[in-house]
Amino acid sequence: MPSQHEQTAMIGIGEYRVGSFPMMTIGLGSCIGLTLYDENLKIGAMVHIMLPESAGRTDRPGKYADTAVPAIINELVALGCRKRSIVAKMAGGSCMFEYFGANLNIGERNVLKVKALLTANQIRLMSEDVGGKVGRSVTFFPANGGIVSIRRADGTTSEL
Amino acid sequence: MKLSTVQADAIQELGNIGAAHAATTLSMMLGSAVEMSVPAIKAVDISQLGSVMGEESAAMVAFELQGEIQHGGYIIFYISRESAVRLTNTMLGLTEMNRPLNEMDESALIEVGNIMVSAFLDATAELLGFIMLPSPPALSIDMAHAAMQSLIAQMGEEIDEVLLFSTELVCEEHKIDSDIIMMPENATLQKIVELLENMMKAS
Repeated sequence: MPSQHEQTAMIGIGEYRVGSFPMMTIGLGSCIGLTLYDENLKIGAMVHIMLPESAGRTDRPGKYADTAVPAIINELVALGCRKRSIVAKMAGGSCMFEYFGANLNIGERNVLKVKALLTANQIRLMSEDVGGKVGRSVTFFPANGGIVSIRRADGTTSEL
Repeated sequence: MKLSTVQADAIQELGNIGAAHAATTLSMMLGSAVEMSVPAIKAVDISQLGSVMGEESAAMVAFELQGEIQHGGYIIFYISRESAVRLTNTMLGLTEMNRPLNEMDESALIEVGNIMVSAFLDATAELLGFIMLPSPPALSIDMAHAAMQSLIAQMGEEIDEVLLFSTELVCEEHKIDSDIIMMPENATLQKIVELLENMMKAS
């Protein structure tokens, strides 16, 4: 059983990590915090996605949904996870500025793209907290049942 | 793009002039003195944005830079939530600090942002002979990182690093601390640098 005091890894925009330690993304707006968790091996991955499409760019796979989803699936499979025991949770994809969001809702496009990719890869999306106009900070605890804890700017918290 | 020392100095001076005008308008609205810092230029990799702005609650009034360039980037009036309450309290003649921000506060914040950013861009346009107009304002009162991240995601260019030009404006009397932050797209930055370099050659 890993220590509860294990240091939390901060996942910046476009980054991902894989392991059993706690992972955190702060202040998600239109970005997505996506977690994959294997209940048998008790390990997981977290990625901080900014945009839906990479359009062929490969230097920062975590930044785009279409490169990030396969990247973290492959990492988990390489560690011995079976795809059918992996479950996904996601948060973010909001629209922080209504005026700008009208014709260019990146948050919503991110959510749709991630969902389509999970379906295509036969990964079950267990729960989500997406959309709206709120920022979210997300912490993921792979060693603790893959719980995802969400905090909003007003201090309210919830769990996925 | 990487800036040389001379280019960075020139942009700092431009920011100085813009912010001085913005500070004057803020000072008039509050009826008290406003001090400004030396403009700071920071290049930030997007993965490290959290080291510049975090989970703290802030009001951000964002404007897209328009005019002679279609998608010029963004200019933002940034004020911590606490300072935002002090600012609108001062303007609306209120004293209660522990209160939610309502529609009246939101209108006041948007108006202050509008006036300050317009003053900033007027001053820089006059100096550069290059017009950057603010789009209609958009307001977010939430986690600073979440708002900033959303603006970066909708920049017209593909970027892994943003350049932030920020000037702090402080009103000691009312304990109000705010920033004007400019986040230009590369094309805008190149244009500004080019104009500044021509001016320096001419003088």
